[in-house]
Amino acid sequence: MTLIDALLQGILMGLLFALVALGLNIIFGVMNIVNFAHGEFLMIGMYTTYWTSLLLDIDPLLTLPVAALVGVLLGIASYYSLIRYLLRGPAIAQLFGTFGLMLFLRYLAQFLFGIDYRIIQKGLLIGKSLSIGPFIFDWTKLAAGILSLFAFAFVYYFLNKTKTGKALQATSINKEAASYMGIKTDKMNAIAWAIGGGTVGIAGGLLANFYYVYPTIGILFVMIAFACVALGGFGSIKGVFFAGLLVGILEMVFPVFGSLVNSDFLGPHFKFTIVYLTYFIIVVFRPQGLFGWKN
Amino acid sequence: MEKLKDAFDFRDFSRAEQVGFTIFSIFLLLFPWLGAGSFVKVVMIQFLLFSLFGMGWNTIGGYGGQVDLGKAQCVGIGAYTVALTMVWWKIPFWVSMPMGILLAVGYSFMIGYPLFRLKGHYFAIATIATSLVLQDIFANWKLVGAAKGIELPIHDHPDFLYMQFKSDTYYYYFIMVLFYVAIFYMNWFRRSKLGYQLRMIKDDEDAAESLGIDIRWCKIKAYSISAFVAVGGGFMAVYNLYIDPVSVMDLDLSIKIALMAMLGGAGSLWGPIIGAAFLVPLDRFLGSWLGGQKGLIGLDFMIYAMLIMVVSAYQPRGIWGIIEQFRRKGS
Repeated sequence: MTLIDALLQGILMGLLFALVALGLNIIFGVMNIVNFAHGEFLMIGMYTTYWTSLLLDIDPLLTLPVAALVGVLLGIASYYSLIRYLLRGPAIAQLFGTFGLMLFLRYLAQFLFGIDYRIIQKGLLIGKSLSIGPFIFDWTKLAAGILSLFAFAFVYYFLNKTKTGKALQATSINKEAASYMGIKTDKMNAIAWAIGGGTVGIAGGLLANFYYVYPTIGILFVMIAFACVALGGFGSIKGVFFAGLLVGILEMVFPVFGSLVNSDFLGPHFKFTIVYLTYFIIVVFRPQGLFGWKN
Repeated sequence: MEKLKDAFDFRDFSRAEQVGFTIFSIFLLLFPWLGAGSFVKVVMIQFLLFSLFGMGWNTIGGYGGQVDLGKAQCVGIGAYTVALTMVWWKIPFWVSMPMGILLAVGYSFMIGYPLFRLKGHYFAIATIATSLVLQDIFANWKLVGAAKGIELPIHDHPDFLYMQFKSDTYYYYFIMVLFYVAIFYMNWFRRSKLGYQLRMIKDDEDAAESLGIDIRWCKIKAYSISAFVAVGGGFMAVYNLYIDPVSVMDLDLSIKIALMAMLGGAGSLWGPIIGAAFLVPLDRFLGSWLGGQKGLIGLDFMIYAMLIMVVSAYQPRGIWGIIEQFRRKGS
């Protein structure tokens, strides 16, 4: 894989990462809670696409609305059944609470579907590739990148142009002041969870087109999402977009450099290690991230 | 000397706690002669081991209020030090174990320095990040066995120097002694200057800072003390005779450690012990009961996770918090 090739692939992955991290960041921005279960929401989105496309025998891309809907419902259900109660407790309880949710969803999936790695075999785009000049793209990844971009743009539009979106942003800037203006914090929180779940559900549906589906996939993607959020700045929507791209590129380009040097530590196994390391370094030296304003 | 006396001074506990602790101690001492089966013995060893881990976590996580989700790093360092030095140079356990502790403390010190620029959520996630990096390194480093792990040489005869025994009873007493060392240490720690400083930091960092407490330095000290869980890692290596990155460094192990302390009651002396007494048997019995039945994988963890959610939503101070709540109502 040449460098430019890796760069382009990285951008496509990065668009997807940005979509995954978007929901996490909105939730964090609005209510200052880190949702550890975010990766598990993604996993459930993936399983939704997998099962609906398999059982109804339709193209995986057509199942995206179902994945989004499941994500939204999951987000709302989590908020009303758990998160609302956690908000009354100390920060440590919030952390453990979402952690518990993460474990619960992971092992629920394992209980229901087993530990097998599953992959979608049939689909309009699966196995097909597009060649433009010297570059070859998998259609599935291309679709994932482009549709992620659309979804991201849609949420961005929603946040900046609609009344509810503006209320959401107001809550994330100053909860008290917003509630004096008649914005109901509780409702905003629920909406944040709905958007968070919905976007990550779509991301899961897109990812399932070319990635293995298994119960423990969540932790990998939640860490990537954390890295994106930290890099872009907690609470910053613009930041998370560029950070997603950056992480995607990093994760694809690094193994290209690694393959030039023969070492235990520069192989493709380490592409995510680099992401975690970047996260660690950024968060330590610039806790507010590249575009962030919350500290 | 004064300090030593403090460690054995349990007078500020209630009568019920003192009596309970004494009965519990007698039970632990006599346990191998109670005729329990080998499975129950294994569970007891696990219980003592995880209580030890939980108490280590408690210094930084409970008293200091910093949610550390990477404790398995120290366990792993301890285990790998013991295993590797034994395989490479035949260094006895009694030498390699302190080495492992030293390395773990040094490592915690090193990463603690940048880590404690962070607070709250940021700190918790960063500890996960560092532990994933460390696990990735060990899982790919061919010199230390990579993902395959390391098998320790088995001796023909029981050997005290290398901690190899035929019967679990010896292992049981060894871990029990460590368990008591930890209890006495924690009993001293909770009333030490650092202990009070940490609780102050947990309650209100700004207030603590205005009183002239060096917050970051206190946290680093507590974090390094909690690295003593490496001793448990060393024990795991000689007890299981096999280690790999998943068994001693996995995120799941870190989570379990933190959860047990949290469930029992973070920031109290008995909390981690109660948590371990609750979760280890649950884990083991559910695991052996359900694991045998096909298709029920994961049910034990679901019960686990539900407990965590309920406890964090209703009584963040854990089981010990519930007990204290009842006591206050009663008196």
